[in-house]
Amino acid sequence: MKTDDLIEKLSAGLEPASPWWVTRRILIGLGCGALFSALLMIVWLGVRPDLMDAMTGTMFWMKFGYTLACSAVLVAALIRVARPGGSMGSLAWALAAPFALVGGMALWRLANAEPVIRYGMLMGDSAEVCPWRIAVLSLPIFAGAVWALRGLAPTRLVLSGFVAGGCAGAMGAWIYAFHCNESAAAFVALWYTAGMAVVALLGALAGRRLLRW
Amino acid sequence: MDQTEARLRALMLAGLAGDAAAHRALLAELGRLLRRYYARRLGFGAPEAEDLVQETLIAVHTRRATYDPQQPFTAWAYAIARYKMIDHLRRMKVRPSSPLEEAGDLFTDGGAEDLVVKRDLDRVLAQVSARTGALIRDVKVEGLSTREAAEKHGLSETAVKVAVHRGLKALTSKFGGGRED
Repeated sequence: MKTDDLIEKLSAGLEPASPWWVTRRILIGLGCGALFSALLMIVWLGVRPDLMDAMTGTMFWMKFGYTLACSAVLVAALIRVARPGGSMGSLAWALAAPFALVGGMALWRLANAEPVIRYGMLMGDSAEVCPWRIAVLSLPIFAGAVWALRGLAPTRLVLSGFVAGGCAGAMGAWIYAFHCNESAAAFVALWYTAGMAVVALLGALAGRRLLRW
Repeated sequence: MDQTEARLRALMLAGLAGDAAAHRALLAELGRLLRRYYARRLGFGAPEAEDLVQETLIAVHTRRATYDPQQPFTAWAYAIARYKMIDHLRRMKVRPSSPLEEAGDLFTDGGAEDLVVKRDLDRVLAQVSARTGALIRDVKVEGLSTREAAEKHGLSETAVKVAVHRGLKALTSKFGGGRED
């Protein structure tokens, strides 16, 4: 087809475009993925039976706040990298804040604990399954993020895959926190972070292949 | 560059609001800029250049809602053009041999390289009549078809063909040392 004919065809019957298109598509993709992931968590692992009691303690809210803060920053980053030429910019620094906060809290608690219980604080009862469960719960959300990005226009595919994976990981970890009964800051700082990092890495590795448009 | 930005951005915003004429004008102008950009990157006459122009125009059109009006339009369009070229090179499994420059590259008039060519061309075409020069420029440089050039100048197609042929012959004998090919 000649380029002039193509231009004619493209501009015929032009519809106005919504300024919220990018945000809406990303929220739909992540929302559907999160819904699926929450159902998966309930059916597969189950909500912790003592959830009501746990909600009165600070440790539940630390996990809740940590994963939610990471999710929020990474959703905002995803909206940026979904546009041509987009990068994380200052959000990379915003992302460092929850890590530094929880990492600092973990180190402080460890330093003030009796040496004999330090290992227990780090490993809890579920260290060997926690990151993998978080990764599995993140997959539906990652799929939603990939669906959203493929209809948008990311131009840095490795970075976009990394952010999509990190975002799915953080949201998956948030959902996992409704099941998990670990209550040491050191455990969360290490194993929750490891779970998110696995999915972020997976996203970065698969980005170039999955996100092409 | 600033003028280009202001003009294209205005067209883009009007297009996003649903103005089809503005959108058509934007795509037409981007088409011209992209043709030159890809030709310069891939080599003049590269057959895939026009495919890339079309592919990029389709991307600009279908993904126009990803333009953030707070950001410069030229940076947005350039990011798409560059992405499509890298994607193309990756498919071809070749590495870009020239560095991928910044946004200015797509939106300038071509810099010194083009200016030199343009000056030489002006000097050569000054050797034939103004009308013949204009016809040669349209048909052989801008890439119009004989019919388009005929319409533009109000001539018959035959007259255009004859004028271009004679003009080129005259120029060849003058600059090509009598060689004819």
